[in-house]
Amino acid sequence: MIENKTTATSENNLLVVENLSVTVRNSREKLIRNLHFSIPQGEIFGLVGESGSGKSLTATVILGMLSKSLEVTSGSVKLGQSEITSLSERELRNIRGKEIAYLSQNYQSFFTPFIKVGKQFIEIIRCHTDMSRKEARKVAIHWLNKVHLPAERVFNSFSDELSGGQLQRAAIASAIMFRPKLIIADEPTTALDVLTGERILDLLSELKEELNCSILLISHDLKHIINRTRTVGVMYGGRIVEIGKTSAVLANPIHPYTDLLLQSRLRLNKHIQHELPTMLGEPGLIAEEGCPFSKRCPSVRESCSNKVPMSSLGTHHSAACHLVKAEREERYVTR
Amino acid sequence: MLHVNSISKTYHSKPALNDISLTVQHGESIGIIGESGSGKSTLGKIILGLDKPDQGEVHFRGNNLHTLNGKALKKLRRQLQIVFQDSAGSLNPKLPVWKSVVEPLENYPDVIPSFLKEVRHNRKKMAEVLFQKVGLSPELLERYPHQLSGGQKQRIAVARGITLEPDLLVCDEPTSSLDVSVQAQVLNLLKKLQKDLNLSFLFISHDIAAVQFMCERIVVLKEGLAVDSFLTEDLFSQSRHPYTKLLVEMSMEQENKIEENQHFYT
Repeated sequence: MIENKTTATSENNLLVVENLSVTVRNSREKLIRNLHFSIPQGEIFGLVGESGSGKSLTATVILGMLSKSLEVTSGSVKLGQSEITSLSERELRNIRGKEIAYLSQNYQSFFTPFIKVGKQFIEIIRCHTDMSRKEARKVAIHWLNKVHLPAERVFNSFSDELSGGQLQRAAIASAIMFRPKLIIADEPTTALDVLTGERILDLLSELKEELNCSILLISHDLKHIINRTRTVGVMYGGRIVEIGKTSAVLANPIHPYTDLLLQSRLRLNKHIQHELPTMLGEPGLIAEEGCPFSKRCPSVRESCSNKVPMSSLGTHHSAACHLVKAEREERYVTR
Repeated sequence: MLHVNSISKTYHSKPALNDISLTVQHGESIGIIGESGSGKSTLGKIILGLDKPDQGEVHFRGNNLHTLNGKALKKLRRQLQIVFQDSAGSLNPKLPVWKSVVEPLENYPDVIPSFLKEVRHNRKKMAEVLFQKVGLSPELLERYPHQLSGGQKQRIAVARGITLEPDLLVCDEPTSSLDVSVQAQVLNLLKKLQKDLNLSFLFISHDIAAVQFMCERIVVLKEGLAVDSFLTEDLFSQSRHPYTKLLVEMSMEQENKIEENQHFYT
């Protein structure tokens, strides 16, 4: 919490999410609880969690596209100076696509199948600017080249004539045309195979440098986040249970969920394993009170059913778990 | 048991498979690894007899799979079962899951798998035994697919796959749409079943780590060609095909970075 507050007040933060909660309208079902994080200008922030952890919902709130059946009950989302949660639909439309770009896992449906990709680019460009068709075409070709595609060919193709990797690249090109301040990449590589996925992430990092934008990288797999982000938040049951500098979290995962997530990832081994380490239960098992992970946690104790606050472990790392205290004591003793 | 003899397949004048040969012995598990478009799912379909090769043939227990028909084919098919990636799509949404699990037995009334002998007169009991085999609680018997999580549905699909006690189970990306924590659970289950029932596996995946864990032998497909084939323990050998090396390298790179981090901090 402490670490979060200090970064939240610093000047160069592009996106600040504070105390955000989302509930189902007319019910008490909380989908996101007291979310707290910020993304500095020009950085990649990773959000990891399994199905139902609320990570994509967080992206929806930032885009101002929350479904009518849900509502924000507390907190704020600030992009630069604007408070997203209080903007009108019209104001939001100017921000979406222009200041915030969104990339989804489902690149197949990003483009309409019956209209050529190029024509759709021109349409997007002319929506946000008053360029002529000719100028728009030039811009589209420019950005298609930027994402290392054979620009002319892609421009004249239908979406089903392109491979998955090419489509995702084209989607990226269309997302970054207006030099957005923030790119939300929601599982951008999950539907792609390993090599293509890595290349897409390389491309995103490269573009980030060039545009000096920030990226919110969402994934269910720590593996995809690890090498690309400076900071990472681990979500479970609508809450961030651990947050901090990626290297610090990796080196010393405190919350059992983070730890188990790291352990149960598939990896190549020099010695073949006979059994993979696993986590108890399934991702849908969320405790209503206290720590959301307590029903699956191997280190659960009585106090876990009470509210578990975030506590910090050094300046760049905090977790919502009783183990933080134990860890701190241990460090004190070893010193 | 299974001999795939230099098969080729072309879709819309694009070659999908080019002169692929492989054999699977009884009780052996073979991994097929490749990127999207490498032809690995096409190969799976042909081995199951769902599609015909343009050239070459598939022999299963001494019979040519693509010249058989009628009763003989049906008899052979009992020994060939599949688990798909999309477990939601492979279960009937309007049947309680226990009925889906024992459904294959209705197509083969004469077949009684060894592990179901004691309960052979009661379909529901059979389902219960199968549920237990895949680690599902009997409370879930009456549920419909939409009431189950992804991991549970995949377990049901696995249960259905072993219902007839087949010789060969083809798994086409069985865990790639599951959450990380559930992936490990399902892979452990598959590995255990393979041992317990002495199944042969054809395990199709793009994840080299999953294949390493599951299989004794690995075939690497690239653009329809089998570029490499080796025993799993030789995965890190210097004599691997450059493409295999690349796949290994990508995977190891991530691991090394994690380890570097951990050393840096401790």
